[in-house]
Amino acid sequence: MDSGDRAARRLFFSAGLTCALAGLLVLGFMVVLGLPLIRSGMLWDILTGPWSPDHGQFGILAMAVGSVYIAGLSLIIAFPVSLGASLFIEVVRPRGAGRLLEWLVRLMTAIPTVIYGFVGIFLLVPLVRSFSGQGSGLCILTAALMLAVLICPTMILFFSRSIARVPRTWLDAVDAMGGTPYQKVRHIIFPAAWPGIVSGTVLAFGRAVGDTLIALMLGGNAVTLPESVLDSARTLTAHIALVIAADFDSLEFKTIFISGILLYVMTGLGILAARAAEKNL
Amino acid sequence: MIPSRVNGEACDRLMTLFCWGCALTLTLVLAAILGFLFFKGWHVLGPKLIFGEVRPLDALLFKKRVFSGLFPAALGTFCLICLAVGTALPLGLACGIYMAEYASNRVKSFFSLMVDILAAIPSIVVGLFGFSITVFLHHYFGGRILPCLGISGIALAFLVLPYIVKTTRIALEQIPLEIRMTGLSLGASPLQNLRHVLIPASLSDIMAGIVLAIGRCAEDTAVIMLTGVVATAGVPKSLFSPFEALPFFIYYTASEYSDPAELEAAYGAALILLAICTGLFIISFQIKRRYNSFN
Amino acid sequence: MKMKNTIKWTLVCMAAVLLPAVAGASALDTFKGESGTLRISGGTAHIPVMKEAAKRIMRFNPDISITIAGGGSGAGIKQVGEGLVDIGNSGRKPKPQEIEKYGLSMHKWAIDGVAPVVNPDNPVTALSSDQLRAVYAGKITSWKDLGGEDRGINLYTRDASSGTRSVFWKKALGKGDISGKANFVASNGAMKSAIGNDPYAIGYISVGYMDKSVAPVALDNVRPSLGSVKSGDYKVARGLYSNTKGEAKGLAAKFIAYLMSPEGQKIAAEKGFIPVN
Repeated sequence: MDSGDRAARRLFFSAGLTCALAGLLVLGFMVVLGLPLIRSGMLWDILTGPWSPDHGQFGILAMAVGSVYIAGLSLIIAFPVSLGASLFIEVVRPRGAGRLLEWLVRLMTAIPTVIYGFVGIFLLVPLVRSFSGQGSGLCILTAALMLAVLICPTMILFFSRSIARVPRTWLDAVDAMGGTPYQKVRHIIFPAAWPGIVSGTVLAFGRAVGDTLIALMLGGNAVTLPESVLDSARTLTAHIALVIAADFDSLEFKTIFISGILLYVMTGLGILAARAAEKNL
Repeated sequence: MIPSRVNGEACDRLMTLFCWGCALTLTLVLAAILGFLFFKGWHVLGPKLIFGEVRPLDALLFKKRVFSGLFPAALGTFCLICLAVGTALPLGLACGIYMAEYASNRVKSFFSLMVDILAAIPSIVVGLFGFSITVFLHHYFGGRILPCLGISGIALAFLVLPYIVKTTRIALEQIPLEIRMTGLSLGASPLQNLRHVLIPASLSDIMAGIVLAIGRCAEDTAVIMLTGVVATAGVPKSLFSPFEALPFFIYYTASEYSDPAELEAAYGAALILLAICTGLFIISFQIKRRYNSFN
Repeated sequence: MKMKNTIKWTLVCMAAVLLPAVAGASALDTFKGESGTLRISGGTAHIPVMKEAAKRIMRFNPDISITIAGGGSGAGIKQVGEGLVDIGNSGRKPKPQEIEKYGLSMHKWAIDGVAPVVNPDNPVTALSSDQLRAVYAGKITSWKDLGGEDRGINLYTRDASSGTRSVFWKKALGKGDISGKANFVASNGAMKSAIGNDPYAIGYISVGYMDKSVAPVALDNVRPSLGSVKSGDYKVARGLYSNTKGEAKGLAAKFIAYLMSPEGQKIAAEKGFIPVN
């Protein structure tokens, strides 16, 4: 029995190690395949230059900026709505409606991204085009609006969980002092739930940066640095999806591994930041 | 703490108004998205959408090929789910068990960090990883390995692995101490305790997590885009053949449709995929609610 | 000469109409007893013809499965060269260095044009080459300057892998710049639906893809159409190629032979291309 236990333990450990190393394996593959480019000293040109294959230029700066721009804007749109919705669920708590909203938000996490993209093309793009009065409707704003819908559930669930963790007795104390719900939120809930709100936001940002389909279908995929929210832009994720090729020799192809590493580093740092924020709880 | 009653009341009302506003906005947006899909797609739903001109039974028994229906794509998605969950399940379960039952605190926090990072990797990067493995294998196996169903399944397994690890771990950790100790105090070994007490006790939570992982496999498009999904392939014949899948069909048709009928099929496919994913979600929700004995 | 051509085309067309009943079955007969998977990828202009041919072959012999993916001509050439697919389609002639590097053999089975297109609601229906070049370089940015509405021009283009792009760039734009502000789409089909949905768009597609959802733009007073490509009046034309690594073998050879057969050529004509035989 003892030896069986030890064997099982060893088996479980090796499975655990495999899972833990899986993430590193992905990074390793990217680095190995991007290595010739990193070594060749062209890395700087690729990270800061323009993309123009006709002129032999393969810079991905515009895509990196596009990623941050679209994800950042979606965060700006989604943050207040998510905060309001999570306060609705946890603090305002109207009978029935609060639970219903919570259930709807959970349901939203199950909606496939490709469906957001699909509805975006046929519903949101014409709307944005006619309201803005310029451009094709395939732009940063459209992609960011749809992405905001995608990341809202992540943020709301995270926010409401950290609001729910605020000790009940503190809130009862405010009630006893005759404080209003607003004062409760401002003086107790926000200071206490702050780290959770930060880490939820960081995670949502990672989710937005990592999404492919919405930006690919709605962003327009232009390759210059965007100037306004109505400009078309390409994200790193869409760039990887668009540059399909099969030979390892071309520079064009190798740049997608640099894009992959950039994305990996961005989301990985996001996880570390979110964890650091939560440790302060 | 209470500076002026009037001002406080105004802030209070404003906050309540804001929260209601946010809640309503969100509900309306969701209703608009779902309503739009239903409005445009409900009338194409039917056996013809899935099986085309072929009799459903002939298609299901692979007697006849379906050329103008969603059947090959639906079957492709089904195969993908089986492959990916089948690969990730044993590994994920074992890893979750190790983290919950055996690991020391330091190992546990390291593993959970790594699993979190794995969970955060954008799916297109996982797809790129799958693609590079393919080209790598292709070069080393004399050109016999090509982008295919098997590769997509394995790449997808990387994507759902963290879900399974996390739900298993949390499910086991939630088991109250009394239950945990009963078996041990009766003289069971840790392994026996695990097998006969802990896993049965947390099974519903683990199942709920697996169902969610299935949903994730069904919806992902970015991974398969780079690892073997194609526009036309018919029913997948083996692990080594390219395949069709529902989410890719929706993505592809959204930009490639050549006539309104094709676009309507995409609306239909979107509705079906939505129904599958929300259906799985509701099943998972019910499993958790009905069978969970601890909370 | 022209007379002779006309006679030839009439004969081809008659043959195309009359033969299938007799010869159609025989064109498929070569697939009897075959089995296995044939992978095709690359040029997106080719896809409708590929799909139809694949459907007929698979209906004739269910043991064969033919898979079709897009990706563009560049991807098609590279993938067939690397052995990732059996047939790599391209909407341009492979470059000499590509042919040499991969040992490609090319099979041209149809002729096609690349036409600038706008939304059917757009009053602008003709441009000079200079105007088109200025539009794509981002120097003319409003439809007003071309006789249309006072709205910005939404440019649409394809990525570097596209054969349609490379032909358009070479023959219609004279290798002029394409503004970085242009929206990117991934295929001819995607271009068509994008232009059809955007009233202020301009883009370019394969002549075989044109239908009522987009309006062709006459270039230097020549309206791009099947007829003007055929007669040689419209200059932005190209061949549609299916490439194999080395000599075509097995299923790939039979598939290409089928494309060249009267029935295959008829499919090409039905899908809006000009058959070569």
